Amino acid sequence: MDNVHESMASGITGTTSKPVSAASGQKKATRGWLTKLSQIVPPLMAFIVLIGGWELIVTWIGTPTYVLPKPSDIYLAASDNFSSLMASAWKTVWESIYGFAISVVLGVSGAIFLGLSKTIEKSIYPYAVILQTIPIVAIAPIIVIWFGAGMNSIVIIAFLIGFFPMLSNTLIGLNSTEQNMKNLFTLYNASRLQTMWRLRIPAALPFIAAGMKISCTLAVIGAIVGEYVAGIGGGEGGLGYAITVAATRLQTPYLFACGLSASLLGVAFFLLINAFSKWLLSSWHESEMKVDN
Amino acid sequence: MSESDNNISIMADWVQLNHVNKVYSNGTVALQDVSLHIKENEFISFVGPSGCGKSTVFKLIAGLTEATDGDIRIMGMSPAHARKQSEMAFVFQDHTLLPWCSVEDNVMLPLSLRGMPKKQRLEEAARVLELVGLKDYKKALPRMLSGGMKMRVSIARALASRPKLLLMDEPFGALDEITRQTLQQELLDIWQREKGMTVLFVTHNVFEAVFLSTRVMVMTPRPGKIAEEISIPFAFPRDDSYHATPEFSEYVREVSAALKH
Repeated sequence: MDNVHESMASGITGTTSKPVSAASGQKKATRGWLTKLSQIVPPLMAFIVLIGGWELIVTWIGTPTYVLPKPSDIYLAASDNFSSLMASAWKTVWESIYGFAISVVLGVSGAIFLGLSKTIEKSIYPYAVILQTIPIVAIAPIIVIWFGAGMNSIVIIAFLIGFFPMLSNTLIGLNSTEQNMKNLFTLYNASRLQTMWRLRIPAALPFIAAGMKISCTLAVIGAIVGEYVAGIGGGEGGLGYAITVAATRLQTPYLFACGLSASLLGVAFFLLINAFSKWLLSSWHESEMKVDN
Repeated sequence: MSESDNNISIMADWVQLNHVNKVYSNGTVALQDVSLHIKENEFISFVGPSGCGKSTVFKLIAGLTEATDGDIRIMGMSPAHARKQSEMAFVFQDHTLLPWCSVEDNVMLPLSLRGMPKKQRLEEAARVLELVGLKDYKKALPRMLSGGMKMRVSIARALASRPKLLLMDEPFGALDEITRQTLQQELLDIWQREKGMTVLFVTHNVFEAVFLSTRVMVMTPRPGKIAEEISIPFAFPRDDSYHATPEFSEYVREVSAALKH
């Protein structure tokens, strides 16, 4: 009698198990959608409250626009001067990209060079650190003297600011290869270059990607700083130059619009590099793996 | 001793350690008066507690470190030279697979490091992956594999260079008991099929040593030395039934007793 009961019970659970899992699958999908929504809604609400409060309070107090513009003033300034804002932003985009690209290329290759020998690393790396500690605004005028005002100097300043994070991150990556792996390469008679190319550089990729995430936003800041000291007008200036001009003319709403554009640029760069890093590492490195729980 | 006599003795011993001492720079005596004579096709286990110098013996044979005293010959060559000739291969407790390379690329690593042409490399990889039963996984990345499968890939990589000497440093130490026993059996089968390969195997596990070996070297610490050499003459092929024989228990008892000295 007990046996019959048991088999019946197992029969029932057997047949019901499928619909249950399908329902839970559906539930999982809605839950996933809900979590996404719950991630977007709070910051969005905070944004609306902040902008709305700003607009209301500034209107209510009657602060002059040149001291603190309302969000609507900033929007109007941006839309009225849309083409010149875009032209400036575009200029800054290219300066940042060039500066960033050079800092990645020289940072990574410099680190590989330093990583090839402990002696070289010990003798040169301290100077890279010293170079990093000199404030960029202190070197900027010298760079303008050497390379003249305009694109060249700006790109060099953007490069300088993003170079050190690339160099040091890559170097840390190259030096943090597991000892067991290094022994393996030694035991199989790998040359120094083979070990570098086949083991240390791939193992450093997560560190290089992390360095790129830091450097890409720094490059935008570098480009803006560069334009402050080396920007030229005549429709050739980027966002940094536009900010200095707007400041001298007390066009505060446009100044805000330029600043916000610069920050959006930084965010866009970061997201792009982030996506690149995911694409590069997701197949094998834990930092960029999707976790299914 | 004439030249020919010398050659004969070299041919007879694939691995020869004569009164080897190893003292580290901090004064630790890692090995004291260790002598070993290992021939072709042997399966030698080194058993002993931590700090008995098992790993040092391996480092000396692999040419990663030099003996303070005494003489080491691998097939008549110095260890470093023998390694350069690609006569040796290695398996560690840690699988040491490159996480960004497929199983196949991992297996071909030692071959590509010494510049073997691609076509030949692929053939060798196919051969050894077949040997460890992973030919369907050649395009998989290591992280997709279980611990036992990773160890199989690691063994396949070692076999790819067709070594005369296979050094295994606690290869199954991190695996669960069931996987461990399966891999022990597979390793024995491979060793019997690959004629003319000597295996040196480090383990903490007395049962493992007795199951696999033709000879067990029992080592004791402080200073590290070989306390006893125990022959395990039980016939090959060995399988699970060997575990249940009275001989097996007798060997285990003998090795355990030697460890307690």
